[in-house]
Amino acid sequence: MTPILDLLATTPAPEAEGGVVGEIFRTFKIHWPYFISQCVSFLLVAILLKKFAFGPIQQMLEQRKNRIAEGEEKLKRIEKQLADSEATTAAAIAKANEDAARLIQEARDSAAALSEAKAQEAISQAQAILAKAEAAAKAERDQIAAELKKEFGRLVTATTAQITGKVLTSDDQKRINDEALAKVEA
Amino acid sequence: MTRRYLLPILSVWLLSLAPVFAGAEGHDHLPPHAEEIFNLFGLPITNSMLMVWLVAGGIILFAQAATKKLSLIPVGLQNFAEWLVESLYNFLEGILGKHLVKRTFWFFATIFVLILFINWSGLMPGVGTVGWELSGPGVDPHDKFRPFFRGGNADLNMTAAMAFTFAILWFYWAISENGLKGFLAHIFAPKGKFKGIMAAFMLLVFLFVGVLEIVSILFRPVALSFRLYGNIFAGENILENMMFVVGDKTWLAWLPPMPFYFLELLVGLIQALVFMLLTSVFLKLICDHGDHHDEEHDH
Repeated sequence: MTPILDLLATTPAPEAEGGVVGEIFRTFKIHWPYFISQCVSFLLVAILLKKFAFGPIQQMLEQRKNRIAEGEEKLKRIEKQLADSEATTAAAIAKANEDAARLIQEARDSAAALSEAKAQEAISQAQAILAKAEAAAKAERDQIAAELKKEFGRLVTATTAQITGKVLTSDDQKRINDEALAKVEA
Repeated sequence: MTRRYLLPILSVWLLSLAPVFAGAEGHDHLPPHAEEIFNLFGLPITNSMLMVWLVAGGIILFAQAATKKLSLIPVGLQNFAEWLVESLYNFLEGILGKHLVKRTFWFFATIFVLILFINWSGLMPGVGTVGWELSGPGVDPHDKFRPFFRGGNADLNMTAAMAFTFAILWFYWAISENGLKGFLAHIFAPKGKFKGIMAAFMLLVFLFVGVLEIVSILFRPVALSFRLYGNIFAGENILENMMFVVGDKTWLAWLPPMPFYFLELLVGLIQALVFMLLTSVFLKLICDHGDHHDEEHDH
């Protein structure tokens, strides 16, 4: 504690030259050269720090902030694009599903129609073949009948001629044939 | 005990031992002013000036090293420097607003960093304790010891230099932000809307308040200077006097100041913060009106 007491004891009275302010200046040794020198030192440090420390660091921080903001912006854009893309894909898939279903239905309808047409065609062809076969059979039967008739007539005529010993005219032949046929048919 | 804590603890021990060696050298008492240690081309250089230059040099070297290879992904010193600058910027932005902080950040950041490191450097071993003894006739027997270094802010010239520099810059920023008319109106014009005789009365009241405000403004640098100086000088005195508490048991002189070193570390930070806060608030008060407009524009 002695130094402080010494200090207080050595403090001159305020009535000294310059009054209280002068006393303060003397006690704390506030001299212009010291004061100006400290001002210059402080300003020099401030200017140097502004130029070489705060300036570049703030610039770097600003640059990084912009980068982050840009990144965020890009991320948002990418997220939006992804959402759009997902929506587009979903829409495309839905449309494709719809088209596929429609195509399948169309194919089914078409197949059914084709199958029906083919069946009808086959039926008509079968009917035509049947009719043709029937016609051919009828024609053959008629032809055979005609041939039979003819042969039967010839046989009847021949038999009649042999039995009667008479040469038959064509009218006789015809009449005998007709009668014989009528009897057979009956 | 991990290795992590070894270095700080050893540093504290070393710090506390420094005054013991000083005591052995016969250090008389801590004068309230810085002392001239040499002359440079006719310019007197004091031990506090030397200390300020050393700390300033250290800060500038650190800044150079930290900003030498700036990269977008910060590493090492750049990381620390960016953390410091960004934290200070955001802190000051909260007080001053976006516009003002852009203009004035360099000053307030320098104030904080310089005061903080000057305060802490005053606690380093050898500061105020390593020097030489004056001899010969005319030497004050109470002031024979000349330390090479003295805590920079334990010199009123240094604290006054910062405070008065701020005062000049304060006028410059206040007038450039408000205009001379706006600046004077901010100080003298009545706040609020009055009519008739009330308006005349309030004009007189605010004129008187303006005069008081001018006195307060003129005293701000004085108060700032003495507040910082007083706190730091008192701290140094405490540390020195605590050392003598043990009397003849000089081998124990390291013990009593030890808790005060922790206190002084805290005081150093708080005083740097207080100086920066007060100066920034003083500026904000005078530019308040202008800044509201800025913020509105920003929104």
